[in-house]
Amino acid sequence: MRTGYHFGSGWGRYIPYLFLIPGLLLYLLIALGPSVATSVFSFTDATGIRGAPINWIGLENYREFLFLGRASQDNYAALGRTLVFCFFVTTIQFGLGLLVAVLVNQRLRGTSIFRTLFFLPVILGAVIQGLIWSLFLYPLGGPMARILEFFGTSSQFFGGPPPEAFASVIFVQIWANMGFTMVIFLAGLQTIPDDLYEAARIDGASSWQVFSNVTWPLLTPSVNTNILLNIIGSLQAWQLFLVLIGYRNGTQVLGYLIYAQGFGQTSGSVTSSFRQGYAAAASIVLFLLVLVLGITTQNILRRREERILG
Amino acid sequence: MNTTLKTRTPINWGRIASYAILLIFAIIYAGPLLMLINTAFKTLPDFMKDATSLATSLNIENFSEAWTRANFPRYLTNTLIYTISATAIYTITAVFVAFPVARGYIRGGNYILTLFIIALFLPPALIPQFQMMLALGLYNNPLGYILLFTVNPIGIVILVNYIKTVPIELDEAAAIDGSGYFRFVISVLLPLIRPAIATVAVLHAIGIWNELILPTIYLTNQDYYPITRGMIVFQGVYGSDWPTLAAGVLIMTLPMVIIFLVLQRYIVSGMTAGAVKG
Repeated sequence: MRTGYHFGSGWGRYIPYLFLIPGLLLYLLIALGPSVATSVFSFTDATGIRGAPINWIGLENYREFLFLGRASQDNYAALGRTLVFCFFVTTIQFGLGLLVAVLVNQRLRGTSIFRTLFFLPVILGAVIQGLIWSLFLYPLGGPMARILEFFGTSSQFFGGPPPEAFASVIFVQIWANMGFTMVIFLAGLQTIPDDLYEAARIDGASSWQVFSNVTWPLLTPSVNTNILLNIIGSLQAWQLFLVLIGYRNGTQVLGYLIYAQGFGQTSGSVTSSFRQGYAAAASIVLFLLVLVLGITTQNILRRREERILG
Repeated sequence: MNTTLKTRTPINWGRIASYAILLIFAIIYAGPLLMLINTAFKTLPDFMKDATSLATSLNIENFSEAWTRANFPRYLTNTLIYTISATAIYTITAVFVAFPVARGYIRGGNYILTLFIIALFLPPALIPQFQMMLALGLYNNPLGYILLFTVNPIGIVILVNYIKTVPIELDEAAAIDGSGYFRFVISVLLPLIRPAIATVAVLHAIGIWNELILPTIYLTNQDYYPITRGMIVFQGVYGSDWPTLAAGVLIMTLPMVIIFLVLQRYIVSGMTAGAVKG
């Protein structure tokens, strides 16, 4: 659908192009260009030092990342942790987000306050989210420590053994982002017409039957959106690790490992810094992981949607 | 008396269960925030003695202490400069991309839109971006840092969709009145698409305000630090002085909470639209 241009003729027709150039140029320079170049850099030994020569080393970075002794074992461990993180964050955040969305979508007093409260952390950012929870999980007599003490147990939370610290970060990650999942479910719930609920109730359906036969199938688009967003988001999330526990052995996920290799921090047995070619290769590995998992999930979800909605 | 008995509804267990579950969530969500506020008013000895006790007095010195010792004026100013200038540049350039695409005033507008979305499905740009900034001498440079935040494809999609709802007759009428392209966009279109502009600008600004990774990578000079990076440094130095640290976190949190409460509708609708479109 092309419509006539009203603001001039002749050369004047090109004015829109002229004003479009800054935005397009910024995008190509800051986002698209570098994105495409990541795979190119993954075949080099680029460092973060200005003026240092960059050499083409072929698949060497990938070989080192995937097959070179201790270092690659650390990488596989980080890869495994990334998948574990993704699994727990996706499933729990999905379940809780759905539960809360259904609850606040009822005609109850005060639901808008609950909605606001649950969504608030989403916009606070990793630094505030992290610091707030570092305080709440203060191991020496903080509220959570008190509760655990009451049950005769204790935890160092973020300062504890790796699995404990890791689980604590998963918890904060879900706390921080559940509101977003809730809001997407709420948008889906509001598209379901009221008369469907009424018809079901007149037929004598119980609350559970209404949910499983009306709400759940009609919520399929939001279900798909949330599952995909949660998977893609949690595979790449690592900022809370930075704020809450730092780069600690036994807790790193791939995103953090890439940052540490590329911008200087020690990693397990490898202690070199600013290895940007290597980090580029690692980010291609992570990217492929996201791509494969994302496409597989989308195919499964699409087949399910066709089955349900016809 | 009889009538009150008759009109009394039976106990609604579903409603009670709903409230009970929501209340548990509310405690988990509000608890840490209340703890933060409480701690910010306590003295350090009070906190060391009992971390969970209620503040017995309003020890507002924590705030002035955090304000000066955490170098807040400098960091906040930096964050404001980065956020406002990058959001302004982004929003203006984005409107001039979205408008001709939505109107079909340029050839291949849909391809341009696809081009903008495609980066969302490509590997992260982090490392080549760094190499480029290094080569351009924009490393550890506030201008270079601002430049990093002048792109956001989802905002352009939101703008295109909104501009499509503005009747094209307006363009014709304005053109007949002798308005030029630039003047039309600035003085007629912008006021009309204010809700979309608000959504896009606020979402973009929140992202910049909260950004932690990019300042860690690109800014080494303390004078250039935004508030997020400054806060992490402050935590490193005052890690055990939680009352002062909590006061600092609270100073940093309040503007966000206020912005959120005022603009909640725009933020939520923008994020949902972005998620469903993306």
